[in-house]
Amino acid sequence: MKLLVIEDEPGLRDSIRDYFTAAGNICETAGDYPSALQKINLYRYDCIILDITLPNGNGLDILQEIKRIRYPDGVLIVSARNSLDDRLQGLHLGADDYLTKPFHLSELLARVMAIVRRKSYDGNHLLVFNEIEMDLQAKTVTVGDHPIKFTKREYALLLYFIVNKGKVVSKNALAEHIWGDGIDISDNFDFIYSHIKNVRKKLVDAGCKDYIQSAYGMGYKLHDR
Amino acid sequence: MKLLDKYNRISLLTTILVIIVTGFIYYFTISYILTDQVDKDLVVEENEIFEHVKLNHNLPEVFKSEDLKILFKNIGQDTMPRQFSNTQFWDDKEKEQEAARGLQSWVRVNGVNYSIHIIESKVETEELIRLIFLITLGIILLLIIALITINRLVIRNLWQPFYDMLRQIKLFNVTDQNSITPLTTGIEEFRDMNEEISAMSTRVKQDYQELKTFVENAAHELMTPIAVMNSKLDTLIQTGGLNDEQGTLIGDMYGTMGKLTRLNKVMLLLTKIENNLINDQEALDVRATIETACSEFQDLAYNKELRLHTELTDVTLFMSKTLLDILLGNLLGNAIRHNRPGGVVTVKLNQQALIIQNTGKFDALDASTIFRRFQKASDSEGSGLGLTLARQICENNGFRLQYSFEDHLHTFTVNFK
Repeated sequence: MKLLVIEDEPGLRDSIRDYFTAAGNICETAGDYPSALQKINLYRYDCIILDITLPNGNGLDILQEIKRIRYPDGVLIVSARNSLDDRLQGLHLGADDYLTKPFHLSELLARVMAIVRRKSYDGNHLLVFNEIEMDLQAKTVTVGDHPIKFTKREYALLLYFIVNKGKVVSKNALAEHIWGDGIDISDNFDFIYSHIKNVRKKLVDAGCKDYIQSAYGMGYKLHDR
Repeated sequence: MKLLDKYNRISLLTTILVIIVTGFIYYFTISYILTDQVDKDLVVEENEIFEHVKLNHNLPEVFKSEDLKILFKNIGQDTMPRQFSNTQFWDDKEKEQEAARGLQSWVRVNGVNYSIHIIESKVETEELIRLIFLITLGIILLLIIALITINRLVIRNLWQPFYDMLRQIKLFNVTDQNSITPLTTGIEEFRDMNEEISAMSTRVKQDYQELKTFVENAAHELMTPIAVMNSKLDTLIQTGGLNDEQGTLIGDMYGTMGKLTRLNKVMLLLTKIENNLINDQEALDVRATIETACSEFQDLAYNKELRLHTELTDVTLFMSKTLLDILLGNLLGNAIRHNRPGGVVTVKLNQQALIIQNTGKFDALDASTIFRRFQKASDSEGSGLGLTLARQICENNGFRLQYSFEDHLHTFTVNFK
């Protein structure tokens, strides 16, 4: 997919670009308001990652411009401001999702994928990874022809891994993804471990290959083999 | 003692003292003047006697009068010193002794000296003085009554702006939105004071607000560098070829970054709650919210082999869902985190209170310090702001959050009333 990252902080912008490019996407960047406006008027993107606080302008104005011309691009707002008002205003103006800084790149990818899927694969709710088939609407998982019963959290974990396939995902990113960031759970990684153990066991029991591997003791990786 | 009472006391005492002193002066002056008048009458009588003796060469006939007596006495060749004196007067009619003024003198009639004793009753003078005294007393009483009334009504009225201002100062809260408004009053001192106080309150609020804005901005500004570091770590672990030792180090960094992020977020949230910026109040089914929260925590509790026990009744509260979720998350999270394997967490909800109890350490926590900022158990991985946040949420909604240690259970109670 083709993405545009509008972010004034070069360090963050480059990290996002590298992460998305390595996942096989085309990722363009803009560092300020004028160049961002120029890009959205010239090209179409599957999803635009938009920082609200920009030099020489407000990201919300760019969002309004996109909506005014009725461009079909998905928009994900990222902001350091976790204010409810900003969030509501952003979503009200037509943004597809809102992510607060700081975030994990794996979380960003998962959110972007969700937007793009909603936008472009209408009527197709199936996400297929080798022999694993996930129905995103019914929230079911089948391997071959065997349906596997997953809990809500296990399902969320598997989806997160498949979207971030081939990437090392840290335990922290996993914990925040399934718990949200409102709760201090840093001392409960055992809990993540047991959930992942269950996911792996259920997949292997259904005759699936064991794709999820521990990585360097600080995270996990779904190997794309 | 109130200023008004103190002032009343002093002014009354002074008034009474001054009136008593002037009363004395008044009394002596009047009585001196009247005595002088009586003395003049006596001299007139004496002169009449002298005239009579000069013309007729005999003593005048003495008529009986109600308030005047003249006595002659043969004193041979003696003379008498002429002198005025205070004496007594026998009133035949009233049958009583009356104060009187006497003049002693002598006259020579046909070669014989006679002493003259003229006595005039002062009863009328005394009555006059008594009348004057009564009138004066009446005036004093009237004056005192008038003074007290004036003090009560007028002065209380005059001080009203002061009391109004005092009430406003008592209600003043630096975190509130409303500030002290200057009152309109014609009295310069009060106007000055009111203006200064309202200016001061505005200044204090402004300083506080600036401090808050600074904290908020600082926390916001920190988010971007944290985001960059986070993303760099995410990128670093994709590079491959890391060994487990490096992995552990990176894991530690992730943990620290996570803590930093949460700390920052809680600080921002605290600022927001203190500023009353979270205004999404609605009627909430507390029971359902607690049930959802408990099911969220079920896995976590199961993992620690805890039993999660609930006794809930239907309760509806009008408050922000965001804040209720945070409150429950913090209290339940604590109850699970600070528990021991195989322990119990009990959640009770009734119309009066929400009670969360958990097993844990065998000693009570120090109730006076646990709600302080950055106060946390040495082995806790939390931010140290969780209970501060919980208490702030309770305060904003008019609830009371208390800690107690009952039957070896750490108990947190949220009183709704």
